[in-house]
Amino acid sequence: MSLLTVSGLTKRYSRGGKTLTAADDVSFHVEPGETLALAGPSGSGKSTIARLVLRLIEPDGGRIEFEGGDFLALGGSALRARRARLQMVFQDPLAAFNPRATVARVLDDPLRIHGIASRAERPRRIAALLERVGLAADLAPRAIHEISGGQRQRVAIARAIATKPSLIVLDEAVSALDVSVRGQILDLLLDLQREQRIAYLFISHDLGVVRAIAHRVILLDAGRIAESGDARAVIDTPRSAIGKALVAAAPRLNRNRP
Amino acid sequence: MSRLHRFLRTPEAVAGTILLAMLFAMALSASLLFPGDPQAIAGPALLPPFQNWSLPLGTDRLGRDVLAELFHGARTSLAVGLAAAAAALVVGAVVGTLAGFAGGLVDEVLMRITDAFQTVPGFLLALAFVSVVGPSLGVVVVAIALGTWTGPARIARAEVLSIRERDYVAGARVIGMHPLAIAFREVLPNALPPVLALSSVIVAAAILTEAALSFLGLGDPNRVTWGGMIAEGRTVLRTAPFLSIVPGIALVLTVLGVYLAGEGIVETTAVRRGLS
Ligand SMILES: Nc1ncnc2c1ncn2[C@@H]1O[C@H](COP(=O)(O)OP(=O)(O)OP(=O)(O)O)[C@@H](O)[C@H]1O
Ligand SMILES: [Mg+2]
Repeated sequence: MSLLTVSGLTKRYSRGGKTLTAADDVSFHVEPGETLALAGPSGSGKSTIARLVLRLIEPDGGRIEFEGGDFLALGGSALRARRARLQMVFQDPLAAFNPRATVARVLDDPLRIHGIASRAERPRRIAALLERVGLAADLAPRAIHEISGGQRQRVAIARAIATKPSLIVLDEAVSALDVSVRGQILDLLLDLQREQRIAYLFISHDLGVVRAIAHRVILLDAGRIAESGDARAVIDTPRSAIGKALVAAAPRLNRNRP
Repeated sequence: MSRLHRFLRTPEAVAGTILLAMLFAMALSASLLFPGDPQAIAGPALLPPFQNWSLPLGTDRLGRDVLAELFHGARTSLAVGLAAAAAALVVGAVVGTLAGFAGGLVDEVLMRITDAFQTVPGFLLALAFVSVVGPSLGVVVVAIALGTWTGPARIARAEVLSIRERDYVAGARVIGMHPLAIAFREVLPNALPPVLALSSVIVAAAILTEAALSFLGLGDPNRVTWGGMIAEGRTVLRTAPFLSIVPGIALVLTVLGVYLAGEGIVETTAVRRGLS
């Protein structure tokens, strides 16, 4: 059984009398421990789909099944409890945290909310989480704006894995980082996936990164799925028009070709 | 450079701080320097100021010590001003945060209530409330807060509306935080600075409103207030103008002090934001 099954997901926005279909009858599934990439041009609906899957916005139609249950039927405390299994990492690691927070508080919140560790136990858990993502435990008392962008994204990952999720949605999670840091973060994500069998819904406009990390890819165009399949196969020989355009526009990929 | 340093470098802040320090000193020392009842008769009636050094500012129509009344009045003004402003800020921030964060029907209802309060002039509202409930210090505080919480509510709501779209609020939802915890722990603290910038104006307005209520005889009858002193002096305005002028000057200086210190704080925080 799939970990996440999305079928017929539709989201419309009305702007100035016109309706814009940001997600148009989108269906896909994610298997446990798998990385599914969502790629597509700007405005194609990648973030919209991420937000729908996370129940940050509500769809106009379609179904979402997560861990064998109807995810859209959940509400209130049942939904909040289920959220432990479905986490997210944002693009801008500075905007993703309360500007007043410290590293410790950011990691303490999920542990406290989901009753994962007692108050006395939590500092040790926080230290362990920091170490797991390659950070020194003495970073804990620092304010979130007092650490580097790369460190912040590691804290974001630590927060996402704190509740032992089965799926993490990463919306352009490495796009804001410079190339060397990006490589390290991708390695960390691959390690965590191997170790804890976490599935990723990995959103990126960088086909080079997608080819390196994803098992399968979905190419979106104006809210619709244009093409999907094995990540390498799709990126090496795209069949859809949008796929060909995206590959042609990706400089690093072109250089690798004969 | 520390924030206090920067604060003390703006001239209006220094002037405001000195005035406020004097006011606080008066309020705090009132019962030390003038331990008895300030409403007790202390000497002959209508003694002019600077005649008798045990009664430096003279006495009023009933022979009460004007200086003692002034000191005890500082207490009332300060207490009412601060309490009313605090109540208005707390109520405003909570209502604004709930409206902005919840949106939909809750927002609609809360903002219509805010509108309703805002269309009635604050002073009339205070007047009506005190007339109905009866004058006492607590009632005066509530009466003033009734007319002033709408400003902070609107500003808090506007700020919350922009903050609630930020990623970190989505992040708080993703980790399963309760909506009320998100509103009051994550959003409200970040919405406070512009709301607090209003506080000096509100304190100043509250002190004036209290004085006006007392002037109309709607202050707490058991306490000396500057507004009450001015009202008392009015009956002998021609023969003993100082009885109205002295508390009038105290009132003007207090409001000026609050306002200048508030400006200084706003300026210092603006500088800080500009630098960061
Ligand atoms: N709250 C909203 N109100 C109206 N329109 C919206 C809203 N959110 C997104 N849209 C529109 O929906 C479409 C899809 O947006 P979305 O953010 O999902 O794109 P994206 O693929 O993530 O783009 P990018 O790569 O630039 O992040 C866009 O046309 C966008 O303008
Ligand atoms: Mg996006």
